[in-house]
Amino acid sequence: MAMDAERRQAELIGQFSAQAAALSSAPQLAALVLEATSHPALFAFSELLALPALTKLAGTQYASSLDLLRLFAYGTLKDYKSNSGSLPALLPDQVRKLKQLSVLTLAESTKVLPYDQLMQELDVSNVRELEDFLINECMYSGIVRGKLDQLRRCFEVQFASGRDLTPDQLNNMIDTLSDWLGTSDSLLHQIQEKIKWADTMSEVNKKHQKEFEDRVEEAKKSIKKLNNLSRQTSTYGGMTTFSLNLEE
Amino acid sequence: MSAPSDSATATAHAPASASAASSSSGLTFKLHPLVIVNVSDHHTRVKAQAACSGDGSSSSGETQRGSRVFGCVIGVQRGRTVEIFNSFELVLDPVSGSLDRAFLEKKQELYKKVFPDFYVLGWYSTGSDVRDTDMQIHKALMDVNESPVYLLLNPAINLSQKDLPVTIYESELHVIDGSPQLIFVRSNYTIETVEAERISVDHVAHLKPSDGGSAATQLAAHLTGIHSAIKMLNSRARVIHQFLVAMKSGEVPVDNSLLRQVSSLVRRLPAMESQKFQDDFLMEYNDTLLMTYLAMFTNCSSTMNELVEKINTSYERPATRRGGRGAFM
Repeated sequence: MAMDAERRQAELIGQFSAQAAALSSAPQLAALVLEATSHPALFAFSELLALPALTKLAGTQYASSLDLLRLFAYGTLKDYKSNSGSLPALLPDQVRKLKQLSVLTLAESTKVLPYDQLMQELDVSNVRELEDFLINECMYSGIVRGKLDQLRRCFEVQFASGRDLTPDQLNNMIDTLSDWLGTSDSLLHQIQEKIKWADTMSEVNKKHQKEFEDRVEEAKKSIKKLNNLSRQTSTYGGMTTFSLNLEE
Repeated sequence: MSAPSDSATATAHAPASASAASSSSGLTFKLHPLVIVNVSDHHTRVKAQAACSGDGSSSSGETQRGSRVFGCVIGVQRGRTVEIFNSFELVLDPVSGSLDRAFLEKKQELYKKVFPDFYVLGWYSTGSDVRDTDMQIHKALMDVNESPVYLLLNPAINLSQKDLPVTIYESELHVIDGSPQLIFVRSNYTIETVEAERISVDHVAHLKPSDGGSAATQLAAHLTGIHSAIKMLNSRARVIHQFLVAMKSGEVPVDNSLLRQVSSLVRRLPAMESQKFQDDFLMEYNDTLLMTYLAMFTNCSSTMNELVEKINTSYERPATRRGGRGAFM
């Protein structure tokens, strides 16, 4: 399911990390960064960012490569456009990848993404192009799964691959998980209550039924007795006593 | 419904028995739940038939307790993995202790036509422990399969036991007292299933007895199923939570790939959150409530009707009173 996308990436990540560890000079690392960000199947860059070799790039003339990598790890197309002065120009492959990553970021916040918002974020002008992009680039590559609702002009996301996490996002995740656990605990409790309620109610019902049956038996017996007694007096008076007994 | 996903594997540890040490042949056994259901069904059927026919002649279950059922298990063996798919019953001659070979061969032929890949892997029986006579049957089967497996199902209901009462034995040549002898050794096995099998076995296992069909028990059973499913989900999510907390506090090295997967998992909640869903859900909820209300109404009005008729009948003036139509018309 979700794990296939991650597994595919794991190989690539391992490959790139090994390469980066082997290289030492800055321009080679910059070229590696370029290759990594243009690779069509790689969406995870935290491992590369964590490599000490790359952090050394900061401050040198190739710092822009590091910034670029950071952008790809955490940012979207909008961030690029606002900072386009300080970042190197992007190849079309990189632009496409950045768009995919932007879709992932959007999918993180809301489940239903309106087309207008998507078109604005991804810098496409018509719906057809947007849908093509979503279908070909996002869904076929397996990073996103969902339903396109053209009538309501929105994209319902059912599953989106995770992007790299900033450290504060970890706290959010922990909070969400503990909320989820709390909710499911209370739900379990409620289900148990319902089960007990169902059992209790059926017990009460059975008891009520039994009481009723007992009373009917009693009434039948008393009628039989009375019938034997009042057999001699089959007048109207006897009938009254007869019907009075039934009232019980 | 049931929590395990498709091709669920659950390791079952065999219960302690007086038999020999565990196997060292290195074969991995995979058992399909269909076999377990078959064997237990066979045993129940034989027991019920014996109880039916022996009714009145013996009050205690002494005669039934000794009855064991026998059958063959079939499946595939690929390399070191033995996968037991299905089973069928066999007739065992109680006097001589030998199997009915003609029947076995005929059954084999029939099954071969339907499942050309399967062949006889061994045999099964019920009981609480391995007996000495079992070795004879085991040896008899060795000409069909050179190393058969013996599946033992313990039909005694033990509520405290958590594992399946199914044990798989292999035969190994051990040197005991100077002479090589075949003895049974226990093997571990895993349960393996496919989606279709899981659904059908689940369905069969949950068939309620016809007299237990009161609404309360059905509701309780349904809710219990949901309860256990949610409980399992809860425990798994708790594990992830603890792992994340450990990662945050630094006990566990940060694993980015896992973090990404967890983040995508967490994003999947809430599973459904749109206006359309709310509308549909509320509409269905209201419909159900209305129907229950209507059914209750109908019940009440019919009870009321019965009551009125009873009162009419009981308070009706006898026919001697001319024109007497009773006081309640």
